[in-house]
Amino acid sequence: MYNLDGTDILNEKYYRKTFSVCPECLNRIPAVVEEEADGKIYMKKNCEEHGDFKDLISSDARYYKWTHYSKEDKDGKIVWQFDKNGEANPPDCVGEDPRGCPYNCGLCPEHLSTCSLALIDLTNRCNFNCNFCYANVLQSGYLVEPSLEEIERIMDHFRNKPIPAIAIMFTGGEPTVRKDFPEICKMAKDKGFKEVIVATNGYGFQQKKGGLEWTRKVYEMGLDTLYLQFDGINNITYEKTRGIKNLMPYKQRVVDNCRKVGLSSINLVATIAKGVTDIEIGNIIQFSIDNIDVVRGITFQPVSLCGRITAEEMDELRITNADVIKEIENQTGGKISMDEAWWPLTTIVEFGRVIAYLADVEPIEFTCHPDCGFATYLVVDPDTKEMVPIMDYFDPLKVIDFANRFWEKIKHKEKAEIQFFENFLGDFGKTLDKGLNFLDKQQLRLRFLLGVLQHMKKPGKLMEMFGRVVMNGDWESISSFTHGTLLLSSMHFQDAYNMDLERVKRCIVHFGVAMPDGSVKEISFCTMNTIHRPNIEKQIAKQVTTKVRDEFDTTTGQEKQVIEEKQIIESEATHNGGIREMEDEK
Amino acid sequence: MSSEFVETKDGVKVRKLVELKTSTAEEYQKAMLGRVEEFKQKNQKKSQFNSVVQNTFFNTFGAILNLKVNIDKALGEENLKKVNEVIDNILLFGL
Repeated sequence: MYNLDGTDILNEKYYRKTFSVCPECLNRIPAVVEEEADGKIYMKKNCEEHGDFKDLISSDARYYKWTHYSKEDKDGKIVWQFDKNGEANPPDCVGEDPRGCPYNCGLCPEHLSTCSLALIDLTNRCNFNCNFCYANVLQSGYLVEPSLEEIERIMDHFRNKPIPAIAIMFTGGEPTVRKDFPEICKMAKDKGFKEVIVATNGYGFQQKKGGLEWTRKVYEMGLDTLYLQFDGINNITYEKTRGIKNLMPYKQRVVDNCRKVGLSSINLVATIAKGVTDIEIGNIIQFSIDNIDVVRGITFQPVSLCGRITAEEMDELRITNADVIKEIENQTGGKISMDEAWWPLTTIVEFGRVIAYLADVEPIEFTCHPDCGFATYLVVDPDTKEMVPIMDYFDPLKVIDFANRFWEKIKHKEKAEIQFFENFLGDFGKTLDKGLNFLDKQQLRLRFLLGVLQHMKKPGKLMEMFGRVVMNGDWESISSFTHGTLLLSSMHFQDAYNMDLERVKRCIVHFGVAMPDGSVKEISFCTMNTIHRPNIEKQIAKQVTTKVRDEFDTTTGQEKQVIEEKQIIESEATHNGGIREMEDEK
Repeated sequence: MSSEFVETKDGVKVRKLVELKTSTAEEYQKAMLGRVEEFKQKNQKKSQFNSVVQNTFFNTFGAILNLKVNIDKALGEENLKKVNEVIDNILLFGL
């Protein structure tokens, strides 16, 4: 993997200039990302007013340098790199703030990538009350909950762009506390989102009474995937992370109910904090393997650091993608190794473009920054019955290299289709040209399939399905293929300490917010949570009026009337962190 | 499923080593083929999995892949690299 064409890049000290923000005043300041003698990569920056800041970006300089390597041909043209610019949509605003990125989000002309995953905060009500969460109606003192009309407006915004978002995720708060959640899922499907996802702690799905029917309903209405908050398999872990007792049975009920209704796409989301959840990594992987009929993947998220902390606290708490990947290697006895298995998300950009072009489908553009995330697929080795990285099935470097070269050769066709007969025969020729274009695509498909086939190392149904992905590029093939695999990924969202504006500009995960003036603001994930959220929410929030207080218990997100009817004892809720036994019975 | 646990001082059970063994190896294929069946029923004629042409093509593809893996083994790594280069050039020719 680290064979970099004989270059000496791994022995050279890494250094690059970028911009970041001051963690104290959030002003834009210059920063450098550089390697130190301890073999790690750090971000260093200085704010004239608040002094020096230093934060760990990667605990493994060697791996980091590999992901930032670029290869040029003899003419100086870059032919290989993980850092890829996307096909950005036209900007939505002119960028009025003279300070530039990241203050002009919405989206400004500096943004380089289109949105692959659209996010909508459905509510800041939640049945949990995690003290570190930014979205909490009780702590903020106001309710943020877009109406159905506003949600529709946001969906239209993402779908009507020249490069529309393919996937949508509902976030919060806890999105499933909304009564109209099933209708919102249907609306998303009707708008043409291929993948409808909810980021959830599992609330709606796990209810002891009615949870199964509710799960069936949202599945039938269009929900495809759960991003299920999952910190481990030990109740004690959840007590530490969420302050809630006995949560594992709650999570298990979510998995069981999904299984019963055939909702077979759960992605476990584990927030990784040093000494708390990092020791659960192996447990989570094994849990997924044992529930493979419904669990499609795991996303590990190194914790983002909010609020003021000292340098010592920073050393104590900071964990990076590289740490997570190494921990996975350690806890799997080296079987999922950093050096072999893990690739930046951007690896498959050209591969995806070729498939989308050949199949006439909307492309999924993972043109984020190489630091944003890493992934690998695990598959079953039929001989040993052991989970192995998919690299055992085909050589990814060679497949990707072939795809890159193939895309370079055919990308001009995307913009100019064959117009041979039209030139001679006018409109009648157009029909003949359609036939020519069809035949052209068929021969390209076959060439591409053969090019990929030569680097496959094992036969079997899984590789047949991979062949269908290559040949057809349709949702049926992709979905079926992923059902035979387990996707592991590590995504490190930024905070004010490690914010790199090169990453921000390439962000592919965008919030949509319906503004009071009727417009929709599209804001990259990390700047929303680090910079823009308080200001945006002040503009859109519905103050917690008497009416709202009358309607909702702001701790649980539930209607007070329902709670009162069931005569829930307040002390019981406090003891059990808001997971009320009585509520399960409704 | 690995049963070898260690317990931390505060009672968190941690697997000593994830074996990555699965007693449900067949379920992976079942999950994938189950999804295929789901699409077949849901999308009827529109599903590629109900297309005779597609299914014939990919059955042949499977057989070719099987053959190709055996040929690769016979060729050896160095020869395979050369063959791959030639095939690459052929496939990219004229684009």
